[in-house]
Amino acid sequence: MPVPYGPERGVSNRRQFLQRAAILAAAAPTLGAFLAACSKSSTQSAAPTLTIAKPDSPVKWTIPDDNKPIADGLVPEKGATLKIYNYADYLSPQAVKGFEDQFGCKVEISTFNDGDEAITKLRSGVDFDIYNANYTEISRLVTGGLLRPLNHSYIPNISNVWPTFTNPWYDQGWQFTVPYTIYTTGIGWRSDQVPADIGALSNPYESLWDTKYKDKTAIIDDFHTAMAMVLLKQGITDVNTSSADDLKMVGEQLTALVKATSPKVTITMYSDMPAGQIGLCQMWSGDVINAQSYLPEGVGTDILQYWFPADGKGLVDNDMLVTLKGGKNPVLAHLFLNHMLDPAVAKENFSAIGYQPPQNSLTADSLVSEEFIPENLRSAIVKPEYFDNGYRLLELDAANEGAWRNVWNAFNAGGS
Amino acid sequence: MRSREPNARLWATLAAPGIGWLLLFFLAPLYVVLAIVFGRVDPLFRTAVPVWNPLEWNPEQFSYVLSRIGPDGIYFPALLRTVGYVAAASILCLAIAFPVAYYVARLAGRRKGVLIALLIAPFWISYMMRMLAWVNLLQNDGLVNRLLNFGGVFDVQVDWLTGQPVVVILGLAYGYVPYMILPLYAGLDRLSQPMLEASRDLGANRVSSFLRVTLPLCRPTILAAVLLTCLPMLGDYFTNDLLSASPKTAMVGNLINDSVQAPGQTGQAGAFVMLVLVATVLPMFYYVRVTLRGDEVRT
Repeated sequence: MPVPYGPERGVSNRRQFLQRAAILAAAAPTLGAFLAACSKSSTQSAAPTLTIAKPDSPVKWTIPDDNKPIADGLVPEKGATLKIYNYADYLSPQAVKGFEDQFGCKVEISTFNDGDEAITKLRSGVDFDIYNANYTEISRLVTGGLLRPLNHSYIPNISNVWPTFTNPWYDQGWQFTVPYTIYTTGIGWRSDQVPADIGALSNPYESLWDTKYKDKTAIIDDFHTAMAMVLLKQGITDVNTSSADDLKMVGEQLTALVKATSPKVTITMYSDMPAGQIGLCQMWSGDVINAQSYLPEGVGTDILQYWFPADGKGLVDNDMLVTLKGGKNPVLAHLFLNHMLDPAVAKENFSAIGYQPPQNSLTADSLVSEEFIPENLRSAIVKPEYFDNGYRLLELDAANEGAWRNVWNAFNAGGS
Repeated sequence: MRSREPNARLWATLAAPGIGWLLLFFLAPLYVVLAIVFGRVDPLFRTAVPVWNPLEWNPEQFSYVLSRIGPDGIYFPALLRTVGYVAAASILCLAIAFPVAYYVARLAGRRKGVLIALLIAPFWISYMMRMLAWVNLLQNDGLVNRLLNFGGVFDVQVDWLTGQPVVVILGLAYGYVPYMILPLYAGLDRLSQPMLEASRDLGANRVSSFLRVTLPLCRPTILAAVLLTCLPMLGDYFTNDLLSASPKTAMVGNLINDSVQAPGQTGQAGAFVMLVLVATVLPMFYYVRVTLRGDEVRT
């Protein structure tokens, strides 16, 4: 290949280099200014105060003057597209279709993998109407002005849910939220791969550290849920601890866990366990119920087992539906919330996603007698008293969350 | 010389969109990453808030990562693992890709067109689909275990998908081998035929001609092909997520993926990005130097 400019090339390049360097040096601050101009004003997020709700310290949020609930008796938006932001596979297509047919609208579902990803997107000013939230986000969502307060007159079906959710500690007076699903976090296993009765062990959490089950285990890919399980295994019930010693111990236990059983860190137990990749794992109750529909043909549902402390002293949680301030269809959004609280729709949704709604009409006995849940998974049914006895994962303050996440990241790097 | 001046301007004009593209989509995003690494965290949502003025940069997140990547640091095993996996997968890729590319470029004859089409075929299927296909094959009741069982003669139950380093390495090699074959083919196809003939005329046998002429001439091509596969492999997190998902096989891409969405830790993700960038820019410079020197030699 010929050299284009012979001996002069070097000289010319050096001069050009100096010229370009000068231009770049002059332009660099401009770039900063340009990017600063493109970004949102930093004053937007200056010094907010975060009120963290707790069961023993309930919060009634203040509704600001510029974000009042919609008026009573409004007509639903015609021919609209209702935008829902939800976890994947966490809403029954039939329940959605029923709503579309009833109100002559279209429902568009966008999905996220976890709450952190969702909040980042919600902040960017998207126009979703409904969001599937968790109470560990509520103070950020309300304080950040992302939610629209509810007008209760559109949601008469609230009377169908457990009384505790009509005045929850995280949103006194249900001003912003309606309950969607309830679940426990326990241990799931396949009896054909793990013949031992895990539930009968003195400390079933310890089974995840049992080298017998190496390469057969998994834990939930959520820092708080997984690390809280380690705390409970060690007999520490403050699952939101800010103790450096506790967190150090959790880090050591997680290191021991990797060495002992090399668990997968995932949220797809509901399909991996039926496929035989996982024999024993930390699991959400809804996932073990959902796993029945993923079992290969010819494999009975009786191989699926689930343990959660019978006295309810384990992790209990609930997700909720909220309407977003940026949504363009507030009336339809309210009506959709009401639709999902209808007993028939809620039950249909339960059968599709495996996660139980807190409906008065659904009890453990009725679900088993109607063969909605097999007897071997009775322990996956959530009971109202669990919410009195169970431990709740709460929103952590920034410094504490940072400390928790550093332990989790070290574990995920395989080198904690 | 004067006649070349308008030519220079013409080429500069033609190169301008490319340079503009680089500035807009490489340098500017790079500055954004820096502004995030050294930026601050939104006190409410804990999302990253870029700080554009370098004088106000806070090195806290960067130092946090930097102080933990040494031999005793918590991130060291993952970094070491990444280098090991990428090196092993690259060697495997090269061992597979070179003979294939050599055959297609030099020996395929009339079948060349069909073979090139076959080489391009993997690009028609998304990377994710190709990896998901492996999940199907490797799961406990998948085809691989069934084959190992010889229809029930043996009882082999290998847990391929729960933290096996070899599966991740094979997955990387499988995923990236097409990216190595094509540049190797392009290089081998334009290998100077007279040089090869000259070596044979001067008494070299096939092996000696290959070792003393073909391979040295191919060095920049091999380097380019290895770089083209190594660089995306270094940032890969998806292969490990799908084929293992265990901390035991976590690579630097997984560290980035884990921290990028975590509130308050986007800066750490940015710090890992910068580390990968530095690690990849150095061999890139070496490649450019070797290529330029190669051109000069040929001139």
